[in-house]
Amino acid sequence: MLEQYGYVGILLIIAVGFTITIPLLPKLLQLIGLIPHKKNPTKSGQYECGMQTIGKNWVQFNFRYYFFAVLFVLLDMLTIFLYTWAVNIKELGIGGLVAVGVFLVILTIGYLYAWRKGALQWK
Amino acid sequence: MNLNLLSWIIFLPVIGIVIIALLPKPGQKTVKWIALSATLASFLVSIAVFLMFNRSEAAIGQMQFEEKLLWIPAINSYYHLGVDGLSLPLVILMTFLGVISVLVSWKVELRPKQFFIWVLMLESSILGVFCSLDLILFFLFWELELIPMFFLISIWGSGRKEYAAYKYLIYTLVGSAFMLAGILSVYFITHTFDITALRGIQIGTSFIPLTVLFFLLMVGFAIKLPVFPLHTWLPDAHTNAPTAASVILAGALLKMGGYGMIRLCVSMLPQVALQYAPVMCTLAVIGVIYGAAVTLRQTDLKRLIAYSSVSHMGYVLLGIFALNQVSLTGASLQMFSHGVITGLLFAMVGLVYDKTHTRDLNNLSGLARQMPIIVVVFSIAGLASLGLPGTAGFVAEFITFAGSFTSVAVAGMKIFTLIAVIGIVVTSGYILWMLQRVFYGYPLDKYNGVKDADAVEMISTFAVVAVIMLVGIYPAILTNVIYMGIEPIAKLIGM
Amino acid sequence: MMDQIRYIAPEISLLCFALIVIVLDLFIKPKKVLPVIAVAGSFVALLAVLMLWGVPVTDVFNKMLAVDQFGLFFKALILVSLVLVILASNRYVLKFEKFQGEFYALLMLSAIGLMLLVSAINLITIYVALELSSISLYVLVSFLKDKQSSEAGLKYLILGAVASAILLYGMALIFGTTGNTCLTCIADYVKGMPAASLAGSPVLLIGLVLLISGFGFKIASVPFQMWVPDVYEGAPTPITAYLSVASKAAGFAVIARILLTAFGMPAWLHNDWAMIIAVLAVLTMTVGNIVALVQTNIKRLFGYSSIAQAGYLMVGLAAMGMAAQADSTIRSGLIFFLFSYTLTNLGAFIAIIAISNKINSDNIDDYSGMAKRSPLLATGLTICLVSLTGLPPTAGLIAKIYIFSGAVDQGLLWLVIIAVINSCISAFYYFKVVKVMWMGEPVNNDEVTSTWPEWLALGFCCLAVVVIGIIPGAFMAITQNAAKIFGI
Repeated sequence: MLEQYGYVGILLIIAVGFTITIPLLPKLLQLIGLIPHKKNPTKSGQYECGMQTIGKNWVQFNFRYYFFAVLFVLLDMLTIFLYTWAVNIKELGIGGLVAVGVFLVILTIGYLYAWRKGALQWK
Repeated sequence: MNLNLLSWIIFLPVIGIVIIALLPKPGQKTVKWIALSATLASFLVSIAVFLMFNRSEAAIGQMQFEEKLLWIPAINSYYHLGVDGLSLPLVILMTFLGVISVLVSWKVELRPKQFFIWVLMLESSILGVFCSLDLILFFLFWELELIPMFFLISIWGSGRKEYAAYKYLIYTLVGSAFMLAGILSVYFITHTFDITALRGIQIGTSFIPLTVLFFLLMVGFAIKLPVFPLHTWLPDAHTNAPTAASVILAGALLKMGGYGMIRLCVSMLPQVALQYAPVMCTLAVIGVIYGAAVTLRQTDLKRLIAYSSVSHMGYVLLGIFALNQVSLTGASLQMFSHGVITGLLFAMVGLVYDKTHTRDLNNLSGLARQMPIIVVVFSIAGLASLGLPGTAGFVAEFITFAGSFTSVAVAGMKIFTLIAVIGIVVTSGYILWMLQRVFYGYPLDKYNGVKDADAVEMISTFAVVAVIMLVGIYPAILTNVIYMGIEPIAKLIGM
Repeated sequence: MMDQIRYIAPEISLLCFALIVIVLDLFIKPKKVLPVIAVAGSFVALLAVLMLWGVPVTDVFNKMLAVDQFGLFFKALILVSLVLVILASNRYVLKFEKFQGEFYALLMLSAIGLMLLVSAINLITIYVALELSSISLYVLVSFLKDKQSSEAGLKYLILGAVASAILLYGMALIFGTTGNTCLTCIADYVKGMPAASLAGSPVLLIGLVLLISGFGFKIASVPFQMWVPDVYEGAPTPITAYLSVASKAAGFAVIARILLTAFGMPAWLHNDWAMIIAVLAVLTMTVGNIVALVQTNIKRLFGYSSIAQAGYLMVGLAAMGMAAQADSTIRSGLIFFLFSYTLTNLGAFIAIIAISNKINSDNIDDYSGMAKRSPLLATGLTICLVSLTGLPPTAGLIAKIYIFSGAVDQGLLWLVIIAVINSCISAFYYFKVVKVMWMGEPVNNDEVTSTWPEWLALGFCCLAVVVIGIIPGAFMAITQNAAKIFGI
């Protein structure tokens, strides 16, 4: 059992190796002279192509976006559970139906809560 | 016939507490009368027990008036009460001082309801300590005594009362902390909490050295007694406590230490006690001489008597660790007589302070003219304290010294005794000097208006004087009883 | 499968009532009815627990949850503290204005998490239950929404997340070594291990240490106690009370269950972890007590005091670990102490909540002369403080005697001596509060009033503390019964 953690260890080594190599790669190539290093403003900008950025990058988003994001996550949850249930609907039988029903009730209460608390309004 | 007399003695004050607590807005007088009747009832029951106590040869070493009830089954602990010759005089002492302490606080006006609740609780817990025959119960009562004392000192005290209360609390807690560890060790070595079963028990194997066990228990008792050098809480607590608390503290509470030493340390581990007796006797002698010497330098009346207690408790320690039958009897008697005498002294100091509002020897002089009755009683108490024949003090000290001088249990006991006797000389020095400073000499004009003792004060102090005289003239009234308890313990040591 | 549902009836009924509270809160104006429903729900759940009391020990849902006296005892304890906290916060909730419903519902949800936690016998259920209770508590801690409360909430969240991560990592390593997540399966594997000491199996050792660390956070043992003072101070007082009792009790229950069920045998193993716990116990009570000495805020003081109490509890845990044979006295010491500590600490907090409602301050100096302003509240708080110090005639003393007696029996006399010296130190700060209340002069002469639910809760706690202190026999029998499951 413990040996199987060896695979995780290999993955870990690869991941660490990868993250270390990639930033060092340009430097390495530079060192052996494979790539030129003449600087100019366009080259050292954030985006080599496309528009120049306008304003600061610390823009504050309206927090109401988060409400919708969270509600969307709820919807995702719903999909995941309902999908797996739907696939196995025959085997799960009545018990599964009841379980999903309970799940739906709880989720509905969640939406009800969001609605009554005004999370769905953009004011 | 089982009347549960001991339970009544312990819980009559508790009944008093409940009545006082339940009265919505009682008048001061009501509270005092309830407290008085509760303590008086308890006293009368204890007298009944004293009279009914079986003094025959067959009853030697037997616990009497036993009550046993399974209390905590999980750790095999019982609600187990009983008295023998060792504890009975101390029970009488406490119930008696309980009455006296209520009488001396007849003039308390600050929050009387709470005051008397605490006094009654104190009485009940100390009685519990003397009556319990189960270690857990013993420990419970031992700890219970802390709370009322803390409040009595810190609310109704004077001077640095909070400091004194804290010092008292911490000292006692540290002592009882070690004691708890000791008690639990005892249980797991012997598998019983029963004090009667522990007397002279043969301890086979044990997971800690018996010496460690002995000292775990001893620390708690030594702080309470107090043994030099663990005595420093005592002068502070005494000086700053209200009169009633001082009376009980000096009179009965300190005796818990001596009682515990005889009951547990000596009876349970006589061999260890024998081994360490020289150390204890050295501490006792140091305590006697040091206490007396420091007393000489005190100018505060209460502090003076407090330090004299350190000295007198040295005699008790000496008597206990001389480890023979006479000296142990002497120590027990000394505990009783010191209880009444010092109790009376504190009560008298309280009276003087009430009238003159000072306890400083330098500010007092020639009070004999202004308060003749107080002078007489105070002088009797003082003379009893220095051991004048005819008073309880003499008998107790004489027996203690006679016992320790002839003791062969410990090497060099004669020298210890001879040094300790010097303490008596110093005692007469400071007592007489104090009496002379306070009552004789030139009367001061500023005390011209002060009143002498009133009826309540006279009743309470005369009662104590009577007891001092009674024991002084007819000591057999107590020694007969004490013998019943001491004899089996002395046999254990084999001396 | 479905027939096993009845075994989690307490949790389900409490969940239903929590949902009812949420929905009702959305549609009705008078909020007075919410606590009534919450309390009713707790009582229904309590009834369900009591009805399960006699059932034989079983495990349900494929060895995910256990049904036994141990779990049921703690479920009842959690529910009782839930009821008491709800009663005590009867006036305090007015501070939350809009969010009263959420307050009750989240409290109930976290109680469900704790109830599952104490009966969980699988590392996965343990983790899920822990998170369910923790996430509700993160929100509750920041409920006051002022600066301190938000800070407390954030701290609790971040440190809690770190602790969860550590715990999870420990669980992963244990799973890696043993190949199982259910506790009894782990126990089977461990019994068959050839190694004679933990050093022979470093991965398991690390896993165990990480596990203890993760739960160390939950029970606030040193060195994982750093969140306690800030969170206790910032959180709404009822939540502080709840954190200090229910959450701690459940933490100890689950750690005892994991250590004893999964790692209770063979001897070398349980002696090893018992030693770790014993050393942590010394650190915990000493740090807690010494730092508590200098506190001026009563909630911070209780924070450190609860750390110190955790130290005493760990003495019991260490004794449990040392006990070679199934001795019910030793094994129930911890449970009995938790029982008495829960009631005592809750009592103290109920008095503090009632007082702070009026004086709006948590400074100990402002408690000055409380005995004159409200004698009964002061008496109640004093009884609880006396019990925390471990003086008679209260539950605290008996609990200490009981838990320490187990430790002495296991040869931990050195640990007990340190513990009793520590309880002397604790007298300093507990009596500081007592002193201020009884001897100080009142700041002003306004009477401090309180409502009947607060009286009820405080009265119940104080009465229980004194009754347990005087006749502890029956209560000890219950806890011994609960400890029986740890037989070998």
